[in-house]
Amino acid sequence: MFSLELFTQALIAGIVIGVIYALMALGITFIYSIVKMINWSMGEFYMLGSYAQYLIVAYWLGADLWYVAAILSAATVFLIGWLIEPILIKPMFTGGIERRDDYATVVTIALLLLLRNLATAISGPYQRTPGTKLPGVMLGPLPESGARFAAFLAALAAIALFYLLLKRTWLGLALRATSQSRVGAQTAGVDVLSLDKIAFGIGVGLAGLAGALLAPVFMVYPTDGVVTTTKGFEIIVIGGLGSVPGALIAGVALGIAESLGATFIASAYQNAYGFVLLLLVLALRPSGLFGERLRQA
Amino acid sequence: MNGAAPILETRKLSKHFGGFVANDAIDLAVQPGEIRGIIGPNGAGKSTLINLMTGVHQPSSGDVLLAGESLVGRKPHEIARKGLVRSFQVSRVFGNLSLLDNLTAPHLAAARTREACQEGVAKARRLLDLVRLTSLTDAPAKTLSGGQRVLLQAAAGFMMPALTCYLLDEPFAGVNPVIKDQLIALIEEESRARGLTFVIVSHEMAVMRRLCRKITVLIEGRVVAEGSLDEIASRADVVTAYLGKSFA
Repeated sequence: MFSLELFTQALIAGIVIGVIYALMALGITFIYSIVKMINWSMGEFYMLGSYAQYLIVAYWLGADLWYVAAILSAATVFLIGWLIEPILIKPMFTGGIERRDDYATVVTIALLLLLRNLATAISGPYQRTPGTKLPGVMLGPLPESGARFAAFLAALAAIALFYLLLKRTWLGLALRATSQSRVGAQTAGVDVLSLDKIAFGIGVGLAGLAGALLAPVFMVYPTDGVVTTTKGFEIIVIGGLGSVPGALIAGVALGIAESLGATFIASAYQNAYGFVLLLLVLALRPSGLFGERLRQA
Repeated sequence: MNGAAPILETRKLSKHFGGFVANDAIDLAVQPGEIRGIIGPNGAGKSTLINLMTGVHQPSSGDVLLAGESLVGRKPHEIARKGLVRSFQVSRVFGNLSLLDNLTAPHLAAARTREACQEGVAKARRLLDLVRLTSLTDAPAKTLSGGQRVLLQAAAGFMMPALTCYLLDEPFAGVNPVIKDQLIALIEEESRARGLTFVIVSHEMAVMRRLCRKITVLIEGRVVAEGSLDEIASRADVVTAYLGKSFA
């Protein structure tokens, strides 16, 4: 069964989907780095992004302007996150809550249930698609759908922008400093509570962007974020929680593992190969590829 | 100097944690340009006092004034931007950031224009030069030794654009003599060149004698003495409570 062509095809397909999954993982790891919490409702922000993309494309801009729609969808999800954070998340730091992790877990799971059921109540259980007019492309030996390739390019661009924001701007410096020490950042005059809002918005905005980009590839329905979120969490465990390069590299590794497994072993177990990779990494490097055993205070 | 209005003042400042009185009606008046020492046994409330002044804790009662303006209810970052800056006993450097980034981060509040940014970077390089860490400019701060981290953290405070008054919490603890001298030189230089005000909490009597003309003694949350180190050392109650008989 093995042929070099098939292998190359599977490899390219894995890289393409891996980069898109990495968007999701970046969102999770970024929020964790700044706000010091796991947002369990990431998949629902993905879902909001996919519905926003569907609504904007189907009822307003049309499939030709998918990229404008994707930017608007991500911006919408950023705004939703930015508005929700002071209500739900900020009390973690200002409300005298002793067990912050427990609080964040309960609040974000409640948010997950609320958003998912709201989506079901409003749109029904139907699967929708914004559709696409993008023609298929050949990536070397691999014929790839136009929507998927476009999502890959857009995800790459978003990751590059995200990286530049972190490394080249003063906001990025404030964010990186805050991720290292919240108290230290405050002492340096950084308003960490307003930074939390921005960070939460950017994090869920990345999930929303993934949802918008994948809307024409997968379907749009109330639980469409579940699979991608699961991948996102797999990726951050593999890459190391809190590591940006880890999220990108592990995302691609996960995509490749799934793609190769599906091609050469059995396609029915596609979602299981990532977990095999995860177990391997945990056995060899318990803190993930780029994780730090102990974060600096 | 005594006639001038104090730059930093506390009035009947108190803090209770449950039934425990950490700070009990503390009156303190630090003049502009002064280097004030604060000493006292462990648990005397020195760190609590600094935490109250910098907004980390809210006082139970009393007031903190910087240049006549009350700081009570202000958030820590607002107080820092007003020019009252502090260092921590435990190092708070940003481990994964380069030394240069560690120093430019406090300059953020002022970095509105390109010129201001460049000015901040130039100032950071000068400070790195001053504490002799130039060769490590682009290295992540987590590679520094404990003493070097203390220097970096102290230097970061000088980067705050509005800095008028700098609170140093145990800056000399666990630092080797060479770095200690560098830190003292840095404080003396910044005090002389910019007329900055310092409040230094320390147990190092030799350093305190060299830097501070006036020292405040805290014991059990109260101010029990104030004056030069020699004046304080002549007080029998202070000596038995803190300095120890062998000191005199």
